[in-house]
Amino acid sequence: MPILILALMGAGVIMLVSASKDMSTYSTFAQVKRSGDTAKVVGKLAKDKPMYYNAEENPNLFKFYMTDQQGEVHEVTLQAAKPQDFELSEQVVATGSFVGDEFVASSILMKCPSKYKNEEVMVRSNM
Amino acid sequence: MQDIQYIGEHLLPGRLGHFFILSALVSALLAILAFRKRVTLPEDTSWRNLSRIAWAIHGTSILAVIGLIFYLMVNQMYEYNYAWDHVSDDLPMKYIFSAFWEGQEGSFLLWMFWHVMLGSVVIFTAKRWEAGVMTLLSVVQLILVSMIAGVYFADDFRMGSSPFLLLRDTMEAPIFNNPNYLSLITGNGLNPLLQNYWMTIHPPTLFLGFASVTIPFCFAMTGLWEKDHTAWLKPVMPWTLFSTGILGLGVLMGGAWAYEALSFGGYWAWDPVENMSLVPWLVLLAALHGNFIARHTGLSIKTTYIFYILSFLLVVYSTFLTRSGILGEESVHAFTEMGLEWQLVGFIGIFLAAGIYFMWTRNKSIPVVQREEQIQSREFWMFVGAMVLVFASILITFSTSIPVWNKLVDVYGSLMNKGDMTPYHKAMPLDPIDHHNRFQLWNAVLVAIISSIAQIMRFNAMGWDMHKKTFFKHILISVGAGAVLTFLFSLWINLPSWQYIVMLSAASFGIVSNIDYMISFGKGKLTSMASALSHGGFALMLVGIMASGLNKRIISENRFAQDGLAEGLDAGKNAFLIKDMPMFMNNYWVTYKSDTLDGLTRKYEIEFVKVNEKGDTLERFTTHPNILYDRQMTKVATANPNTKRYLDRDVFTYIAGLPPEQQDKSNLKRIDSLLEYKLYYLKTGEITNAGAYKVRLDSIMLDSRHKEYEHEEDDLVLSGAVTVFDSMGTDSGMIYPTMIIRKGLLYSLSDQLNDFNLRTRLKASALDSLFPIDEKLSYEPLIVKAGEVHTWKDLKLTLEGIDKNIDHPNYKAENGDIAIQAVISIETADHKTHIARPLYFIRDGSPLNMKAYLPDIGLHIKLERIDPEKEEFYLYLARLTDSPRLPLEVALDVPRNDYIVMEAILFPGINLFWIGSLIMLSGMFIGMYKRLRKS
Repeated sequence: MPILILALMGAGVIMLVSASKDMSTYSTFAQVKRSGDTAKVVGKLAKDKPMYYNAEENPNLFKFYMTDQQGEVHEVTLQAAKPQDFELSEQVVATGSFVGDEFVASSILMKCPSKYKNEEVMVRSNM
Repeated sequence: MQDIQYIGEHLLPGRLGHFFILSALVSALLAILAFRKRVTLPEDTSWRNLSRIAWAIHGTSILAVIGLIFYLMVNQMYEYNYAWDHVSDDLPMKYIFSAFWEGQEGSFLLWMFWHVMLGSVVIFTAKRWEAGVMTLLSVVQLILVSMIAGVYFADDFRMGSSPFLLLRDTMEAPIFNNPNYLSLITGNGLNPLLQNYWMTIHPPTLFLGFASVTIPFCFAMTGLWEKDHTAWLKPVMPWTLFSTGILGLGVLMGGAWAYEALSFGGYWAWDPVENMSLVPWLVLLAALHGNFIARHTGLSIKTTYIFYILSFLLVVYSTFLTRSGILGEESVHAFTEMGLEWQLVGFIGIFLAAGIYFMWTRNKSIPVVQREEQIQSREFWMFVGAMVLVFASILITFSTSIPVWNKLVDVYGSLMNKGDMTPYHKAMPLDPIDHHNRFQLWNAVLVAIISSIAQIMRFNAMGWDMHKKTFFKHILISVGAGAVLTFLFSLWINLPSWQYIVMLSAASFGIVSNIDYMISFGKGKLTSMASALSHGGFALMLVGIMASGLNKRIISENRFAQDGLAEGLDAGKNAFLIKDMPMFMNNYWVTYKSDTLDGLTRKYEIEFVKVNEKGDTLERFTTHPNILYDRQMTKVATANPNTKRYLDRDVFTYIAGLPPEQQDKSNLKRIDSLLEYKLYYLKTGEITNAGAYKVRLDSIMLDSRHKEYEHEEDDLVLSGAVTVFDSMGTDSGMIYPTMIIRKGLLYSLSDQLNDFNLRTRLKASALDSLFPIDEKLSYEPLIVKAGEVHTWKDLKLTLEGIDKNIDHPNYKAENGDIAIQAVISIETADHKTHIARPLYFIRDGSPLNMKAYLPDIGLHIKLERIDPEKEEFYLYLARLTDSPRLPLEVALDVPRNDYIVMEAILFPGINLFWIGSLIMLSGMFIGMYKRLRKS
């Protein structure tokens, strides 16, 4: 039994180590672009820039500009419907990577100020 | 502000509330002391009575606090922050419970409420264990009550957050300079996301689950404390089984709520809040199995202790994660901060320290059985299974706790003066669902196999030599039949990788093995099948997870696959649907049939029709997703999915997007103001060109067929019936721009033809020309007889007869009225015939009349007098103009407003998941029943 428990613990450690490789980091547009990886960018919706969503043309394409924590403004593309009241969002966390010069998000999490506490919306483009 | 005498405040309930919180605190303290004393003086009746009285006072105080909060909420006493924050005037009473536990204070009270209930059961049933268990339970209660105490130490060191705070004490606002501020405010109301029946049943179940974990923990701690390491193992079992059953049910309900009411399209998303409700349950299951081993073999008492302590600590940790606000950026539904972080950390710290202290000091006295491990024994595999469960929990907790690790890094950084530690912060996995699934798959495989094998073995490998044959026979049966079942399932379930083939095989093996166990060893008694039901249910659940997850198909697939965008990304899961226009997607013809606004809810009707190649309808159903607006109709508060359920599959539908005008009422005006209207004055029958379209006014009506118009009494309505043709003259549509005078206010209803992107409305000046006041008209008399043709100006009038069925829109019949309507046909110069029905009636002996008005030809007709002897009718006719024109405004290039963006997903076999889980949980309750009956 001790051998088996040791083996189990060994397998456990291996799993834990490999699980920790899944951890991501909070990043900025510049860093994501440099690394070429997928990462989470925290920032704010650039409210002075245009937002594009035309359900008639493509219900799964939403583009907006986001200011990251370094102040860089970049366009973000999300292949999903525009979340309701996206205009009101206070904070946006976009998970994605660069394809050419385009930041393509696989999911965005937005936080809205609300008379209701902490209303957050998660939007994923893929499932 | 100190001298303001506020009007209308009810301060008594708040004072009572504070009193009962205080009394709950003091009585918990008293209960601790009294129960503690009884541990050393078990026979002393006076201590027994005192301890129970203290508990009774404590319980009553908690109930009183809860009762008072409900009193505040039901009576909408907005002077109290809690009532103001969670209810509103328009909140239906059925959601009052949801409102109560929406807030942290309420959910803490719910937790305490269940502790009070469970503790009372302990008092009546636990006998020799009562004193110890209740001492510890009282300690837990003391800490929980402190969370709502709202007591300040020094200046800003607060202990707990009281639910009885006054609104004016929680925030500063100029409104509180007004003594009568209460008459000006209304409640905040319940988050629409939570206005759902699941929110009425899910939290109490989950909190009963959480509370029930405390009892086995208290048993274990008492065992350690009293150094009686074996006797508690038996009485704790029914409690543990109850707890695994209820907590499991609570977690499952959370999944059901997410599936039914949230938009992410599934029952489990590995969200931190979900994870942290699952983890204590897994560890408690491990404890349960350790408990079995300890009772039957005397082995693994230490691990059983550790697992029980751990399960409770994880409940507290889960509370900490979801309530301290630490999850911040990572969770979709964490609570906000309440300033209780240090208190929650202290909560964990106290019990962690207590657990370590007792394990440390009692370590030597815990009996350890020295003997060779037997791989053929049930306890060996049970232990391995328990370790797998604990390991699964560690893995989930590890990933979910990333924000905590970040916080620890910060603390380390500030202690070591390393400055900003943000660069070292980590974030949760990019795709948490994939991350957790990848690892937990193996734990599921191990649990399914081990639980089945261990069941056919015997404790202490009793009579292995004899039993060996039976064991291998049953394993062989299960492997054989399991392989067949795997094959059958694989015909149905898409298996994208070998890992899933392994999982499906393990699950099939588990199903067969447990059915075999029930038949071969169940003795036909349900109570002997408890474990097999739980294990088999789990295996069935795995099949359901795979079927619904791997076979999940998005029906609403995007037809506009994007070029030039990233490869490998899904085309999209939302479809654009135009009202009444069927769209073909994934074998279904889907039609957005209608939407109706009912209060703040807009309900949709989406029809799905499946046809075969011959065109026969194979299947037809309708789903009704809806969206809920906020109170001002300026925001979509939540979109509620709707699911069509079949035995073998579900079709999940959800409204993901709306035209801007339906998202926000204020967009109506904004978008309309951006349009360029052109004005046309049209006679009835006249056609004009508007861009590429032809617009014809068919008639001017004193009613409206506009789809949004609902008639109310005393409405004055004017509308145009307008036909629009496209340039080829092949396609046309009708619209009804409308103007209403209701209670002295003028409303204009524009009408839109979406296929032509064209919108029309009436100009307000229409009212002056088409609704002239009587004084401006000069009536001319005309005496007519039935059947005769009379000429008035260019009109030919014939009195066709009289009608006693009165349909005059302004007439309200009264008792004793004698009323008739003349039916007059009027032929115009261009040979069109109109019918006018002026009304004549006698009320209380006086003759009265109501005119008929034909707006198309601008003609007003009164029937003023009837001469019955001569059969003569005295008509009065007036006309302002012989060809009234309707001022019609037309805008082109108007964006569509008759579409939705919809998501539809097919979940095959999802019922296997629900059924499997319920069977699994029912096994636990049967096990509990069995043990209660035995004792």
